[in-house]
Amino acid sequence: MTLALREMRRRPGRFGIATVILTLIAILLMFLGGLLDGLVASSTGAFRSQRADALVYSASSRNSLERSRIEPEVRRQVESVPGVTRVGGLGSVQLGGRVPGRGTRDLVPTVLFGYELAPRGLPPTPPATGTVYADDSLRAKNVVVGTTIRLGSARSAVTVVGFVSDTRYTGQGTLWGSLETWRQVLNANRPDARVGPGVVQALVVQGGPLGRAGLPERIDRATGGATRTLTITHAVNALPGVAQQRSVFNQIIGVTVVIAIVVVALFFALLTVERTALYGVLKAIGASSRALFAGVVLQAVVVALIASLIGIIASLTLNELIPAGTIPFVATPARLVSSAVVLVVAAVLGCSFSLRRVLRVDPAAAIGGTP
Amino acid sequence: MFLALHEMSRARVRFGLLICAVGLLVFLILAQQAIQGGLISGFVGALRQQSAPVLVYSVDGERTLQGSVIDPLLEAKIRGVRGVAEAGWIGQSTFTVRVDGGTESDAALIGYQRAGLGDPGRLSAGRRPVGPTEAVGSVADFTVGSRVRIVPNGPPGATGPTFTVVGLVKDAQIQVTPTLFVPWAGYEAAVKSANPDATTILPSVIGVRPTPGVRDAELVRRINAASPDADALTRSQAASDAPGVAQVQQSFQLIFLLYGLVVPLITGLFFLIITFQKAAALTLLRAVGARSGALVRSLLIQVVLVVGGGIVIGIVLFAPLTLIQLGAITIRFDPGAVLFWSVALLVLGLASAMVAAKRVLAIDPLEATTGAGGL
Repeated sequence: MTLALREMRRRPGRFGIATVILTLIAILLMFLGGLLDGLVASSTGAFRSQRADALVYSASSRNSLERSRIEPEVRRQVESVPGVTRVGGLGSVQLGGRVPGRGTRDLVPTVLFGYELAPRGLPPTPPATGTVYADDSLRAKNVVVGTTIRLGSARSAVTVVGFVSDTRYTGQGTLWGSLETWRQVLNANRPDARVGPGVVQALVVQGGPLGRAGLPERIDRATGGATRTLTITHAVNALPGVAQQRSVFNQIIGVTVVIAIVVVALFFALLTVERTALYGVLKAIGASSRALFAGVVLQAVVVALIASLIGIIASLTLNELIPAGTIPFVATPARLVSSAVVLVVAAVLGCSFSLRRVLRVDPAAAIGGTP
Repeated sequence: MFLALHEMSRARVRFGLLICAVGLLVFLILAQQAIQGGLISGFVGALRQQSAPVLVYSVDGERTLQGSVIDPLLEAKIRGVRGVAEAGWIGQSTFTVRVDGGTESDAALIGYQRAGLGDPGRLSAGRRPVGPTEAVGSVADFTVGSRVRIVPNGPPGATGPTFTVVGLVKDAQIQVTPTLFVPWAGYEAAVKSANPDATTILPSVIGVRPTPGVRDAELVRRINAASPDADALTRSQAASDAPGVAQVQQSFQLIFLLYGLVVPLITGLFFLIITFQKAAALTLLRAVGARSGALVRSLLIQVVLVVGGGIVIGIVLFAPLTLIQLGAITIRFDPGAVLFWSVALLVLGLASAMVAAKRVLAIDPLEATTGAGGL
């Protein structure tokens, strides 16, 4: 072990290029992961923040909030399902917002949500008509408490009374108001999407402790198939593009990890070949194959750890440098640590390909002078 | 040449591993390049394929068809701009549909009021619609003769319009969704069946054609000057400036840059270590008369074979991927992109081997007589 570390200290150049390559791979892993996390977080926050057990769409909406319409009659059926304790309406509309101090053409993309059951971070009662809570990503767009945002071509005015975190939807900052605020703004700006009295896009459902199991199925049975009910987790995964993004990015990350394994295997295979004679001498004076291989593994782990550390610093720097609204990258501790762990495991796996060569080293050959 | 090949055949595992690593990297680069192209085409392909040379959004629409609504007042201002020869409504919404009586799926409808302003520019098969229930579909998602029924919202027994696909157009999706171009009357019927509360169906954008002698860019400038609520764009601007397109391109460019750096670094590292390991043998070769140029040539031949082999493996892995549909994204084998990356990676690989080549050139044959023989 000491020998392995001493070699790294005395001849750092030998490990330099491998460290640089693994660092690039670490940055790639963390960047790809951060990109995935950023894309998913900016698309799903509004749903993840729901304090509910299920989300009820109309059956023909294909889990699209914008296409879903729940009539008051269907709502009454849902409310009467045994195990359902609270039901709240939910509606959304995407509109450009005019924020004071910005240019006449410099609108802020927003999604206005109307709600009855408060998501995490919002007070239990929706704010008064014409007032909203804003997602804190909108702070970067000059929105502060008291700002009046004029939404859509009808310039529907809503005044911000507070902020809420991590509630973005389809990559846009959200505004949270009462159903009445939402209905007024929607009907004023989108005549093709207007809704009648009592109509909402979806229902947010809370179940009692004994009534949660099988809740979605019971709701859909009670409405005679007029609804499609999903748990919040399923609703998040059913958002357009989320599952596809996860699948594509995870496959790319997987292949990148395989490349990391090959790079480490290649590097340590070459190093082992180079050190065959030295290993022979060490074995001749009593070093075990296990000790020699442990040294190789230790060197691989150290290289991977250094690469991961630089990768983490680079990712955090990137996280600070990327302007809001450009690349949807977010560096979370979980992603950075998991990427580092994956890289270390890849390094151990990669250097394991050298095990056979270390085991085959013959100490007698070293004494005889032939490597 | 003989020496280079002989060495590679003697050390198949190490050269094989390197070729595999380069091959995987080439595969990743080509696959991601194709995904980027497919994604962008899926996002905005319909905008590129539609026939209106200028599209006028409302500023509030943030340059998205689904977000933009043109009210009659704004429409009148647009039509009144000097240089507007023709103007027509274009609307877009996404619907739940059943294709040929199958399971429910998504389809985006683009409704157009006037032929030549919003309908597809060039068909790849079939003909253009002549009635409100005929449609032109994106070629990856529909076939001529497909019947697409809009699944209605509303009371039990409500029915939605059914469209018959009579023509096809390539690369014409919007929002990475199967897309149909339909006449305005059909579009209006579809919107009303999906939302019985809808009162007026307003256009998402106005398609505009300039009078002869007025360039598209000039008309864009005049329309934008006429109203602060109008956001006029040429067809290509509408595609390139759509939200998300720039972010997709920036993200992929950063990924390509990182992968592009990894390939030469791996190749350079490999050949540098190999050169170190062969130091004694190379010194001996120089001492018995081998010219340094020949040794460098041998090194470069190995680089070309390794990177070339990796490129071939990468292409072989990538090619089958282009035969399948990745969700709604069409992955294309783009010979131009393959050629670009092949040449770029070969050049970068050769450049990375220059450090090793420099070491070879620095060998002093005299050291063979002293027993030093190192680099």
